[in-house]
Amino acid sequence: MSERSVSRQRQGKRWYTVLAPEQFDRAELGDTMAEEPEQVVGRTVETTLGEITGDQGQDNVKLTFKITDVGSDAAYTEFIQHELTRDYLRSMVRRGASKIDLHITVRTTDDYRVRVSPVAFTTKKADRSQEQAIRQIMIDLVEQAAEERSFSELIDSVVEGRLSSAIYGEAKTVYPLRRVEVQKLSLEARPEEIAAEEEAAVDVDDDDVAVDE
Amino acid sequence: MSESENADESRWAIANVFASFNNTLITVTDITGAETLIKSSGGAVVKQNRDEASPYAAMQMAEGVAEQLKAQGIEGVHVRIRGPGGNAQKSPGPGAQPTIRALARAGIEIGRIEDVTPIPHDGTRAPKKNRL
Repeated sequence: MSERSVSRQRQGKRWYTVLAPEQFDRAELGDTMAEEPEQVVGRTVETTLGEITGDQGQDNVKLTFKITDVGSDAAYTEFIQHELTRDYLRSMVRRGASKIDLHITVRTTDDYRVRVSPVAFTTKKADRSQEQAIRQIMIDLVEQAAEERSFSELIDSVVEGRLSSAIYGEAKTVYPLRRVEVQKLSLEARPEEIAAEEEAAVDVDDDDVAVDE
Repeated sequence: MSESENADESRWAIANVFASFNNTLITVTDITGAETLIKSSGGAVVKQNRDEASPYAAMQMAEGVAEQLKAQGIEGVHVRIRGPGGNAQKSPGPGAQPTIRALARAGIEIGRIEDVTPIPHDGTRAPKKNRL
């Protein structure tokens, strides 16, 4: 019974091939089904980096794409998130060693707001001061990276691991590290949204603020 | 119409498997997770409520699902497995493993297998039995 109702719904629905952004060579991500093309917009597709590049070793990186535009039978996406898989991250955590992580929101040269979360795993327990020093290095490098790069360049440097190896290179002088990764990078706001925010923002003087007596 | 021309294409889907101690739910969606292709649950294959979570029920369900997937021209699935999560068990129940095995045996290719159990980043206080 249930199968019949499903197949009836199915009629009149069309499949759309989801394509990755140009940056990822317009790789095919899969297919999605909808009655109306508009319904496809806003859906998200999650793949691994290994699937896109064809490299088996990169399966612990998940990339999420959001459909922004639909053609006749193709859907075009934009990059919205890069994340390490939970099992990989869990496998890095060891007893008696430190995990140093940080979440920082930065703005790229082309006005995208991006949240970057690097993590470092040490070989042994690090002192608080060392953790803080490493964290400071992370902040500096991520901010510097964002100041110099556009959104797509920043994604490139994170996905290809250049940012994490830069952090590794600097931070290993503070304390021996086992591994440095960017555990998550997510798109927070696009240039239009930031422009709208700035439009709406008002400067607030001290005397304008109402204080309850 | 379009059904037949799609049949030879290699199309992938996602099998969302929720395995608790009381039931197993299998929902197969397209890769975006927005369109459900088929769903099945323990009650569809067994009589007794307590058997809904059993490995046997999971196998039966997976076989039925696999058959329909093939009819729809789905070649393989990525598996997202999940236990109850939150303040309850963080590990998937007894129906999880047999589901994957039965799908594979029925000739559906298995892609990535991922655990998507919701883990609280500290939410509400857990019931006494689950505290620490």
